Amino acid sequence: MPAVQETIDQVAQIDVDQYKYGFETILEMDMAPIGLSEDVIRFISAKKEEPEWMLEWRLDAYRRWLTMDEPDWARVSYPKIDFSEIYFYAAPKGQSGPKTLDDVDPEIRATYEKLGIPLAEQELLAGVQERRVAVDAVFDSVSVVTTFKKELSKAGVIFMSISEAIREHPELVKKYLASVVPVSDNYYSALNCAVFTDGSFVYVPEGVRCPMELSTYFRINAENTGQFERTLIVAEKGAYVSYLEGCTAPQRDENQLHAAVVELVAMDDAEIKYSTVQNWYPGDSTGKGGIYNFVTKRGDCRGDRSKISWTQVETGSAITWKYPSCILRGDDSQGEFYSIAVSNGAQQVDSGTKMIHLGKRTKSRIISKGISAGRSQNTYRGRVSAHRKATDARNFTQCDSLLIGDQCGAHTVPYIEANNATAQFEHEATTSKISDDQLFYCMQRGIPEEEAIALIVNGFVKEVIQELPMEFAVEAQKLIGISLEGSVG
Amino acid sequence: MNIQAPIKHTAAEEVLFQSCEAANAAVACSEESQKLREAAVAQLRDNGFPTRRVESWHYTDLRAAVKQLSTPTGSRVSTPLLAGSKVLSADTHIAGVKIEPWSADKAQFAPLESDDAVGQINTALATCGSIATIEAGQTIDTPLSIENRGAHARNVVSIGAGASATIIESVSGDDGFSSDVTLISLAEGAKATYVATCEKGADAIQLGQLRVALGKDANLDIVIFNAGGRLIRREIIVLVEGEGSNLDIKGVNLIGGNSHIDVTTVLQHTVPNTVSEQLFRNISTGKGQGVFQGQIKVHQIAQKTDAQMACNTLLLSNDASFSAKPELEIFADDVICAHGATVAELDEDHLFYLCARGITERTARALLVEAFVDEAVEQIENEALVEALETRIGAWLEANG
Repeated sequence: MPAVQETIDQVAQIDVDQYKYGFETILEMDMAPIGLSEDVIRFISAKKEEPEWMLEWRLDAYRRWLTMDEPDWARVSYPKIDFSEIYFYAAPKGQSGPKTLDDVDPEIRATYEKLGIPLAEQELLAGVQERRVAVDAVFDSVSVVTTFKKELSKAGVIFMSISEAIREHPELVKKYLASVVPVSDNYYSALNCAVFTDGSFVYVPEGVRCPMELSTYFRINAENTGQFERTLIVAEKGAYVSYLEGCTAPQRDENQLHAAVVELVAMDDAEIKYSTVQNWYPGDSTGKGGIYNFVTKRGDCRGDRSKISWTQVETGSAITWKYPSCILRGDDSQGEFYSIAVSNGAQQVDSGTKMIHLGKRTKSRIISKGISAGRSQNTYRGRVSAHRKATDARNFTQCDSLLIGDQCGAHTVPYIEANNATAQFEHEATTSKISDDQLFYCMQRGIPEEEAIALIVNGFVKEVIQELPMEFAVEAQKLIGISLEGSVG
Repeated sequence: MNIQAPIKHTAAEEVLFQSCEAANAAVACSEESQKLREAAVAQLRDNGFPTRRVESWHYTDLRAAVKQLSTPTGSRVSTPLLAGSKVLSADTHIAGVKIEPWSADKAQFAPLESDDAVGQINTALATCGSIATIEAGQTIDTPLSIENRGAHARNVVSIGAGASATIIESVSGDDGFSSDVTLISLAEGAKATYVATCEKGADAIQLGQLRVALGKDANLDIVIFNAGGRLIRREIIVLVEGEGSNLDIKGVNLIGGNSHIDVTTVLQHTVPNTVSEQLFRNISTGKGQGVFQGQIKVHQIAQKTDAQMACNTLLLSNDASFSAKPELEIFADDVICAHGATVAELDEDHLFYLCARGITERTARALLVEAFVDEAVEQIENEALVEALETRIGAWLEANG
C-alpha cells in the first residue's frame, strides 16, 4: 500500500513540532484599526464597496452580538478572547479584491506556490491527471484571485468571492444569506455576520452539474488578525457541485481567531458535496499559539430528494469548535457526515454534527473517527433528532475513537431524540487503543512497528478517506501521518 | 449585560422552601449535618428546580413539571416484590445485619454539586430511612427490603467485606412529590444485588438517587424497573473505586400515558481493571416521554477498564418519544468502552413472521414487545426476581399495550 509507505516517509522526514506551512509572507498590509466597533464595521463595508443594505445588516448583527454571551458548553478551555486586541480586517496593499492572475502580488503568488495551490489555470494538482479544480484564494481578509471563472460562467455556474457577489448578484445574496444560519444563531455566527471579510459564493443553476471541482484556499498571514470567512453555496433544482476547502496559517506564539460561517442550500434533487481539509497551525507541542477555529457550518436540504454531504479531515487548529450540520427539510432528503479528527500535542477538538430530520423518509449517516494522541482532548458531540412529522426517518451513527498514549482523552457526547414512532435510529460508539493483537499480527508478518501502526490507523480512517475527492484523499492521508508524528512508535 | 438576575421562584418552589424549614424543625441533628442541610437549601434557593438549561437535566424540565408541590396522600410502600423478604427497619432482627434507628447524623449528608437537585432536595427534606450494615463475611439469603415510609427517605446500606445480600427498594403511590436517596457501599469482595422498582400513579413525581461506592473485587448487580408516574427521575451514580470490581446494571422502563421517565447514570472508573455493563430496555407508548442519559468516565489511571452501555427503545405510538444521551469521557488509552443506542418501532418482518403462522396481530405485537423487554430481565441470575419482574411487566403491558 503505497499511501502507507508515504505516511511513514512523511513521518520520518519531518521533525517533531514542525508545521509545514508555518512560514510567513512579508507584505505591506492594509489594516482596519485594531479592535471592534461600529466604525470598524463601516470601514470593512467601505473597503468592500458594499451597498448600504449590507452595512445596515452588518451593524444590526453587531448590535445583536453585543447582547450575546460566549458559549461555554464545549469541552474546550482557553483564556477569554479580547476582541479589542484583534485586527478584524487585513489585506495586502493594493489587493482590495480579486483580479487577474497577472495583477496578483508576486509574493502572494509565491506563497500559494509554496502551499501547493495552483493559481494559474493551466496547472494541475500534483499527480492528478485531467482533473481541474477552480480555486478561490483568500488571503487574510480578501480573495486574491478566482480561477476558471469564465469557463464556469459558460456553464452558468457563478463562482466568485462573496464580496464580489454582494456587488454583482445582490438579489441572490439577499435571498440566501443567513437563511440557513440565522444572524443570531450563536455568538460566533453573529460576530461573523458583523465582520465577515471574504469567502466564496457558489450558485449552480437548475439542472447544471458543475463541470469541475470548486475549491477555496484560506490563508491567515497577518499577525493578530482574525479571519472571518463567509461561504454560501446554492444548488438549484437538480444541480450538483463538489466543493473543497483548505486552510493554513503561519506559526505564531499568539492565538488567532478564525470564525467562519458556511451555508449550503440544496433545492429539489440537488446535491452538494462539501469537503474540508483543515490544517490551521495547531500551536507547538506545549500548546503555545495556534488558531482558534470556531466555525458554524450548516446545510439546508430545502428541496425534496436533495442531498448534502460533509466530509472533513481535521488535523490543525489549537481549538476546533465545529459542527457541520444538515437540516433535512425536504422529503426523502439525505444528509451525510464523514469526519476524521486527529489531535496531538495540546490540541482540543470539540466537533461533530447535527442531523435534524424534518421531512418524511429522510436519511442520515454519520461516520466519525477521532484519533487522539499526545495530551490532546478529542470530543465528538452530535445530535440526531426526528421531528414528530418526520415519518420513517433513518439514522445510522458510528463514532469510533482511537487513543494513542495515556495522556490524551477521547469523549463522545451524542444526543439522540426520537419524537416519531417510525423513526429508526442506531448509534454506536467505541473507544479503544490499537490492539496488541492487531499490532502483533502485522509485526509477525515482518512489518515494522511504526509501519504497522500507520497501517492500522489508515484502516481505522479508511471509511472516511474514501469519501474525499481524490486529490484531497492523498493529502489527507499524508496529513494524518504528520499529525500523529511523535506519537506513533 | 451578563449579570444574572436572581431567579423568580415558582409557587411550587416556595412550598418547597417551607417544607425544608418544616423538615429542619422536625429532625434534630448535629451542627455539621445542619450546615450541610442549610447548604442544600441555599443551592435550591439559588437555582430553583432544574430546567433543561442544566446539562444534566437536558431532557427533563423539573421546574415546569412540578406545578404544585404536594405530599403523597397514600402509602408509598408497595407490595413486596419477593416473597419472604424482610424489611430493614429498626425493629426487625436479622442475623448478620446490624440495623440502627434513623437519624439525620447517620444519613451521610455531604456537600453537593450545584446540579445535583435530587441530592439537594433529599438532603433538605429527608426525615426517615433505613440504616443498615451487613456484617463482614455474612451471606444473607433472605431478600432485604427497604420501605420508604415518609415522602423523603434517605437510606444508608454498608455491605461488609466478603458479605453478600439482596436488597430491594420498591416504591409506589398515586400522587405527591417524593424523593429517595440510597447510599450503598461495598467493601472488599462484597457481593450484592440491588433492585429498585418504582410504580407510580399518573399524578406522582418521584425522584430517586442511588449512590454506590464499589470496593476492591466487589460485585454489584443493579436492577431498575420504572413504570407509570407523572415524572420519574432515577439517578444511578457509581464510583468504581476498587480494583477488580464488577458492576452490572439492567433496567426496564415502561413509559405510557403522560409519563415522563428519566434514567440518568454516571459511572466513574477511577482504578485499573474494572468492568461495568449497562443494558436498558424501554417501551414508550401513549404520550410517554422517555429519557436515558448515561455517562461513563474513565480516569487516566483506570487502564484496562471494560465499560459497555446499551440502551434500546421501542416506540409504540405516534405521540411517544425517547431521547438518549450516552456519553463517554475517556482519559485512559488501554480501555474497551462502547455504547450503543437504538430507537425504533416494532420490526415489520418479525410481525409478519408471527402473523404468517396464524398468530393474531395483537398477540404477535404483545409477544414481540414482551420478548424485547425480557431480554434485559432474563439475564438476571435470581430466578425468583426474574419471575416477579416478568409478572409486573406482563401486567403493565396488558394494561397499556
